[in-house]
Amino acid sequence: MADLEDRIRESQRMGIQIAKESEDDRLMTLSVGPQHPGSGHFRFVVKLDGDYIVHCDPDPGYVHRGEEKMCEYRNFIQNIPHLERPVIHDSTNITYSYSLAVEELTGIQVPRRGQFIRAIASELNRQIYTLYWLAIYGIFLGHSTMFMWPAGDRELFIDLMEALTGARVTHAFNIPGGVRNDIPNGFKDKCLRQITYYEKRLKEYEDIFYNNPLVRQRTEGVGILTKEDAINLGVTGSVLRASGVPYDIRKAEPYDVYNEIDFKVQYMQTADSFARAYVPFLDMRESCHIVRQLLDKMPESGEVRAKLQANPRGPPGEAYRRVESGRGALGYYIISDGTPKPYRVKISVGSFRNMLALPHLLVGAKMGDMPVIYWALNYWPVEADR
Amino acid sequence: MTSTAPTPSPPLPPKSHASTSTAVGFIKAIESGSKHLLIKRFTLRYPEQKLKFVGDGYQFDPKRAVGIAGLRGRHILNHDKCTGCQLCAITCEGIAEAIGMVKVDEEWKHNKKGIMPQIDYGKCVFCGLCVDACPFYALFMTNDYELAAYTKEHLIYTPGQLAVKPKYSGDVEIKIEDHGATHHA
Amino acid sequence: MATLPGEFRFGNFFASIIWVILVVIVILTLIVLPLLFVVLFYTPLPPVNGEVLTPYLFLTSIVDPTRTLPIINFYIHQIPFKVIVFPGFIFAAIVAAATIFVERKFLAKMQLRIGPFYAGVWGIGEGILQLAADGLKLISKEILVPSGADKPIFWATPVAFVATAAAVVALIPVAPGWVVSNTSVGLIAVFAILGFFPLIALLFSWASNSKYPFIGGLRALHQMIAFEIPFILSALSVVILAGSLNLTEIAQSQHTFWYIIFLPVSAFVFFISSLAELERVPFDLPEAESEIVAGWLTETSGMIYGLIQLGSYLKVYALAALFVILFLGGWHGPQIFPPQLGPPNAIPIEKMLTLQGFYEYLTANAIFWFLVKTVIVIMLMILPRGISPRIRIDILLHTGWYKLIVLAFVNMFVALALIYSGVLGPGGSLSIH
Repeated sequence: MADLEDRIRESQRMGIQIAKESEDDRLMTLSVGPQHPGSGHFRFVVKLDGDYIVHCDPDPGYVHRGEEKMCEYRNFIQNIPHLERPVIHDSTNITYSYSLAVEELTGIQVPRRGQFIRAIASELNRQIYTLYWLAIYGIFLGHSTMFMWPAGDRELFIDLMEALTGARVTHAFNIPGGVRNDIPNGFKDKCLRQITYYEKRLKEYEDIFYNNPLVRQRTEGVGILTKEDAINLGVTGSVLRASGVPYDIRKAEPYDVYNEIDFKVQYMQTADSFARAYVPFLDMRESCHIVRQLLDKMPESGEVRAKLQANPRGPPGEAYRRVESGRGALGYYIISDGTPKPYRVKISVGSFRNMLALPHLLVGAKMGDMPVIYWALNYWPVEADR
Repeated sequence: MTSTAPTPSPPLPPKSHASTSTAVGFIKAIESGSKHLLIKRFTLRYPEQKLKFVGDGYQFDPKRAVGIAGLRGRHILNHDKCTGCQLCAITCEGIAEAIGMVKVDEEWKHNKKGIMPQIDYGKCVFCGLCVDACPFYALFMTNDYELAAYTKEHLIYTPGQLAVKPKYSGDVEIKIEDHGATHHA
Repeated sequence: MATLPGEFRFGNFFASIIWVILVVIVILTLIVLPLLFVVLFYTPLPPVNGEVLTPYLFLTSIVDPTRTLPIINFYIHQIPFKVIVFPGFIFAAIVAAATIFVERKFLAKMQLRIGPFYAGVWGIGEGILQLAADGLKLISKEILVPSGADKPIFWATPVAFVATAAAVVALIPVAPGWVVSNTSVGLIAVFAILGFFPLIALLFSWASNSKYPFIGGLRALHQMIAFEIPFILSALSVVILAGSLNLTEIAQSQHTFWYIIFLPVSAFVFFISSLAELERVPFDLPEAESEIVAGWLTETSGMIYGLIQLGSYLKVYALAALFVILFLGGWHGPQIFPPQLGPPNAIPIEKMLTLQGFYEYLTANAIFWFLVKTVIVIMLMILPRGISPRIRIDILLHTGWYKLIVLAFVNMFVALALIYSGVLGPGGSLSIH
């Protein structure tokens, strides 16, 4: 009973600390909490001086499930369904890097056609995630049309993934050793047709959103993250590329077949929120080119999956592999001790690193800039908490 | 952020997208929005329209050790192939614990123990790894995804219920025409 | 699930029907008919065919066609009818309801989706009953009053909001002679009433006792006050040209040309200011969803939210109608209604069906064109909601205090120049010197 009272007192003390106005009575503490249309499963506490934010405390952890610990109780194959749940919209990429790490540990070789199919699924999934992110960005700015159009166009890609993997979002497609099934008949034509149509839609997005003077006014010059700050804070992905650092893991540490594909790293020099919103758009355009090249270069026939023993295991060791996902570098550090179950899995996600830039950028910004800056950091709350 | 491999010389960055004048921007936005008043709506009017799927559902070929693409819906159990080896239940134990083995009254020569899997769709995540685990071509998945029920007990499908082939007829898919994409047959 | 019904017996069912009919007949005879006669005894009855009606003759108008239309004609020109039905509250509420439905369908079509779909006759009028469904839902919800809220103000403010919006509607003339209150300072009365809205928003946000409504209320205050000045200035140019503040006279003076031809910039400023007064996208900062939950509307729930939505859309109708009267020529338009709907020497029942004595072709024409123009202006107000995001508060204040005031002054000087150079006369007719 005394233990309970201690805990109540401790939480009251912490609550009062967060909620207490400072000595200067002007400041108002606002909890942009999980019950807020503009925050997702995430809470951050801001202190406002009039319309300006003077302090910000991010408070993640609402969706923590213990993914890393759960991995220790399941073998390498059984880990796939629950590991894809942290970022369900981008589920192929988060299991991609896991599969690469496990293949390094166990020494499995992935056949060539399987590598191509994995890359195609990864690129399509990147489109799905980026369209969803763009839809939410539109609604954060109050632009309801920009919410509906990407959500509708996302159906094209979800339809493709459904034909390919069998499920709309919970793909469970990548597996250590390759992919689970070969592409169905008619997939290549359907894919090319839908990507051609989609590239025409991208022009509409530019007209109504990126070239809209009101959107420009709200996002240009807001939340500038200089190149040195970006590198020092350790942000990754499109946020880093928007600050002028042309770093893409697919070019820097190419994995699978990415060293055979010819594409350009998209980056911008202005480091404001508009750049952070525009770089994913440029990435999407580039991704269409990548998919076309992959479909062209894919070998006509071949195995897609390496034959595995029932409980794959490898010699004791450790492996660290990274993949470029929708939010940035997604890395897995796996330690194996010779048994079919991993000893320790550490997931390093782009969202958590990008969150470190949030207090840095919000201080000095206006209240109206809060959703603009927050969502442009490409933050996915579920993934950051794992 | 240290990268050991040297990045290839970066290409010139795209010009910071020069903003057009305000009036032109607004007019283009209005034009883009109004253009969409002439495009057909994209919505799929479920349940009057249902999606069409290629194939019969996700299946797995243990000889070639690779799956066959299809929708991962409700399972179907071939009673004349299932030997009660429990591999599907063992696989699912680490994932969702949705498969339990139950005794069945049927007598099969290849199923000495007389047990078959029953699947609890309240727990199943439709990952299909149980299908990958079955070495006897006994457990496949079908196109049926309309599994809603009124009670949790009705969601537990017995081996007899799993043997019934579902009737699913959908004929609507995404069609891309010159001025838009729609869902229709 | 529902309880099982008891055993059904047809005899009991029949008996219950007869019982209901009996009760209705008793209530009618004992209460409703005497009440009706008392009311008719004290209200003024119209003279028909040279004789004043008695209550009995009034009731026979149900079967005598020579009396029906004159009686209806008499009551339509009375003030209670004008206040309640047309062009007063019910008419504005119907236009508001139609606006909400059209807005949702229009935006949905622009966004390649369906909008309201299941409520209503499928295939014929998809989603047409959605508004009724929403209204029923809002009535049945519990109204949560936050702890520490200022209860009298919390309950009174939404009602005041609807009442103020209805007061603006009362000043708008729909056709010559069809206005609830025909004051000689109609335009200034509109501005005075519109000045109440920031106060109402601020009162409600303060009474909510919560941080997000507080921020939203301050934003509403800043926004509406900033845009009142360009609003008044742009309407002032019209007053200079028309020479009167009476809204009916302003509309009448546009019988040769519409003011928008000479005052396009003022019309633009007026339109933008009215979007800001109505808190519509792109100016919906006081209810910015992603920043301050729902702004000053956060603590509204149930019918309070319904009242505020009703008030908002009544304001949409009122300001769109004001735009039509000031700039688009009011009710003037080509005459498309025939003078008589039927031959004058027909049998009485045919006279009643062709509305003779009741139908005035000029009024019908005026109402028709007024409605057409108002609908067009409302559609123009809905369009920005589909194509633009929300604006930020400092950009908004900059626009309102600097740019729009300058533009309004520009057009006012143009109007003054036109008058002093003698091109336009104060009577509204184009006189050439």
